[in-house]
Amino acid sequence: MSFITCQNLTREYKKGDAVIRPLDGLDLEIPRGDFLALMGPSGSGKTTLLNLVAGIDSPTGGSLVIDGTDLAKLSRNKLAAWRSKHIGYVFQLYNLVPVLTAYENVELPLLLHDLSKRQRYERITEALERVGIADRADHFPRQLSGGQEQRVAIARAIVTDPDIIVADEPTGDLDKGSAHTVMQLLQTLNKELGKTIVMVTHDPKTTEYATRTLHLEKGRLVEAEVAA
Amino acid sequence: MRLVRCFPYVIKQVTRHRVRSMLTVFGIAIAMFLFTSVQAMNEGVTEATTATANDTTLVVYREDRYCPATSQLPQDYQRQIESIDGVTSVTPMMVVVSNCRTSLDVVTFRGVPKESFLSGAGKGLEVIAGSAEDWLIRTDAALLGETLASRRGLKPGMRFDAAGITATVAGIVRSDNPQDQNVAYTALEFVQLAGRDRLGIVTQFNVKVADSALLDPVADEIDEMFRTAQEPTATFGEKAFIGRLADDIIELVGFARWLGLGCLAAVLALVANSIILGVQSRVAEHAVLQTLGYKSRMVAVLIVAEGVLLSVLGGVFGAAMALGVARLGNFALSVEGTSIPIVADSELLLMGFVVCVVIGVLAGLVPAWQASRRSIVECFRSV
Repeated sequence: MSFITCQNLTREYKKGDAVIRPLDGLDLEIPRGDFLALMGPSGSGKTTLLNLVAGIDSPTGGSLVIDGTDLAKLSRNKLAAWRSKHIGYVFQLYNLVPVLTAYENVELPLLLHDLSKRQRYERITEALERVGIADRADHFPRQLSGGQEQRVAIARAIVTDPDIIVADEPTGDLDKGSAHTVMQLLQTLNKELGKTIVMVTHDPKTTEYATRTLHLEKGRLVEAEVAA
Repeated sequence: MRLVRCFPYVIKQVTRHRVRSMLTVFGIAIAMFLFTSVQAMNEGVTEATTATANDTTLVVYREDRYCPATSQLPQDYQRQIESIDGVTSVTPMMVVVSNCRTSLDVVTFRGVPKESFLSGAGKGLEVIAGSAEDWLIRTDAALLGETLASRRGLKPGMRFDAAGITATVAGIVRSDNPQDQNVAYTALEFVQLAGRDRLGIVTQFNVKVADSALLDPVADEIDEMFRTAQEPTATFGEKAFIGRLADDIIELVGFARWLGLGCLAAVLALVANSIILGVQSRVAEHAVLQTLGYKSRMVAVLIVAEGVLLSVLGGVFGAAMALGVARLGNFALSVEGTSIPIVADSELLLMGFVVCVVIGVLAGLVPAWQASRRSIVECFRSV
């Protein structure tokens, strides 16, 4: 049985009288430990699929089952609780809280868990060390480069030890060197920690770090290929 | 527990826009200063004019007179009043004020028969400085209410001058009765002779009765007794008497309550404005929090907590300022020889705190609800 199973997955939006369907009956299976890259033109539904997998959006049709949990059946509150345990989200624009230090940003998801200050400290330090940014723990986002900010965002995504990391164009705002570092980091998380990663990207080079790449168009899969 | 863990985040959000937050806190502090001051006056009015079951004092005044300068009663009424059943003591009083108008700094002299006063009407006075013996011995001696002494900076042994009377401070007294806190008790003859000869004339009689249930019947009997006399009387319970003389003040304070409520509305608007601005500029941030697993309810609580923090910071500061000013100034609203103290105590500070918490919650509710209801994806799309 797959770790993530999408069956006839559909997402519709109403815009006035028109119905927009970014995902249209998509069938997809993602095994545990996969590093999946999603590519496709704008409006192809890749970010919609990512948001559904991350549990920040809900399907309007079909089913999305992750590790036995049917996300469509979870209430808003239960979905939030599920996200806090199972999902680490990496945004294109990092989305760090500007008034918090790197340490405090990484601490944010842990505040929802019943951990002592000491336990939180240990987890945060471990996450920051893993992304190679522990020496910047006291820095505010404005004092960090784009690559460093994204590494803090990755630390925030992994600090709760989630099963799945979803990344929405994680290198979209980075220079070549930083992009390479970030992608290596994601690859390491996939290979060493066994994290299942679903990544949306426009950059074919970043797909080289994934175990496979899928192309979407008009809400459907058009081809599948295995990365090098 | 989660809110406690997240409180540093709330503080950081409040201090995120320092100037905006400081201006908001300053505005709240000013509004709460005004509100608390009005409340302090209102408390004073309530304390001075609301009758309780423990009240056993009547004030006998000249009928149709509202001013100590015009209320003149023969001192020998005392014996006739003492003969009424239920009366336990009668204290003739000559009242002289330094200022007939309403003021925050009026000195009221009350001339009383020294020998009987301390064991009768003045039984509840506690001498906290100087001595009652000195007061009994010296002709020009005065026992000063604590509030008056503090406001004028007077201590035992000092001489002071007011209303054309020069007296020496023999002692300072403390009392639960607001009317004792802002007066100078001197010998009756001393006040009667001050300025012009009014021996045998008093302003009022303070009559103690055995039980509060006797207040009305005894009052009726006194007024009936002097109904056809040359100087007819009007007798009231002490609190009602103050309410009658200080009617203008009470009306003004009553109106000021509306101003106080206006101040609260201003606080509400200030906090709500600040929170709405903050929430509008952090749409994506709240979406990120929800993406990290924060329930919409938790996001709402964090927003409300920001409102409460802002409101409490400004409100407690403003209320404490009002408390400090009222305490340092020892003000009392005086009119026609009666005194309405401005009651500034820790209860007022507590009330200010509670009001601020409530306002903070109310101000944060709508923006919190709006922020918590937005779809995460819509939030990311909108920025």
